[in-house]
Amino acid sequence: MIQNKLSFHQSSASLEIIGLPDYSNNENKDQISIISQWKLSIVDKPLIEGKIEHLGPIMDAFYIYSNLLIKNDSPIYESKLIDIKADNLHLHNIVLKSSKPNVNPLNIKIGNTSLSDTINCFDQLTESSKVRIKKTVVSNYIAKKGSFSLNNKVKFLHFIMPPFIAIISLILCSSTFIYFYNPVEDKEKNELINPE
Amino acid sequence: MLETIDLNGIQSLYALSNKLNLNNVLPNKVAIWKLRNNNPLRKSYVINNIKLNEFDALIRITVEMSKFLYPYIREILKSKEDIEENSVIWNDFNNRFIELIKERFNVDSIRVKKLLNKAENDEIIIKSLLILSFCISNQGYQKLKNFLYDF
Repeated sequence: MIQNKLSFHQSSASLEIIGLPDYSNNENKDQISIISQWKLSIVDKPLIEGKIEHLGPIMDAFYIYSNLLIKNDSPIYESKLIDIKADNLHLHNIVLKSSKPNVNPLNIKIGNTSLSDTINCFDQLTESSKVRIKKTVVSNYIAKKGSFSLNNKVKFLHFIMPPFIAIISLILCSSTFIYFYNPVEDKEKNELINPE
Repeated sequence: MLETIDLNGIQSLYALSNKLNLNNVLPNKVAIWKLRNNNPLRKSYVINNIKLNEFDALIRITVEMSKFLYPYIREILKSKEDIEENSVIWNDFNNRFIELIKERFNVDSIRVKKLLNKAENDEIIIKSLLILSFCISNQGYQKLKNFLYDF
């Protein structure tokens, strides 16, 4: 059976998806639902390829790493299949670990441009109506970030805590004044003792 | 950042707002200018209480503009990667960025001074360009919104 092939390109990166439509689901001939193979090529870098079970974790790794890159000074993503670490602000070190025994990990260094090109290729894949891939951690990860997260609660606490502490300390300070000497009261007492 | 790349930035922003049918939110250039003045680092900072639909409109325009300017964004990032071989693009971009900041921002602010310092502004420029380059897909609007919420 002839397999379908779909390619997604963005400048220096291109992603190729090979697979078949799910005829049991009455899908079109040009659809891909059963992915048998994928290939990611980045200019001047070795070809990265694998099976469907590798595609999801690798996409997740790139998406999560890109988020960490924006937020952290030294982003690191580590998993059984792939490690991504920033060497500096412009260079990212990718280590791909083979699931086959006795195969050395593949080290690739890519720049910011290749990283953004690769992420845009993955974006095109997730948005494509012709390829159906199971929703992975990526979508959950993005959705969670959009909601009212723990981070927002921390920010809310930061906002409410200073005035709260200020009011409490004001009450504590003012309550100590109850025990201080009150000259008006003393004068009244003296008047009662010496009515003249 | 986008205006540093596009010399005719305000005109492009307005043209894109028309293209995206955002005329009811941003009817003219003055409305866009007013929204931009919500930035506390600007010389002409005014508190306008930005509305949710205005915030959304600005994100949509930014994403659309990033799509058009992606080749340039990429070139700038690339020139910084190969700074020894090709420093011209990065230096031109950084100089123009500093010029724009000096012209429009409150230079007495410590945060603005950091932006003006060439030794320190690399990180903020690269991260801003990366955010824009990650948001050029159709999901870019949601992605940029998430990045901004996390900032």
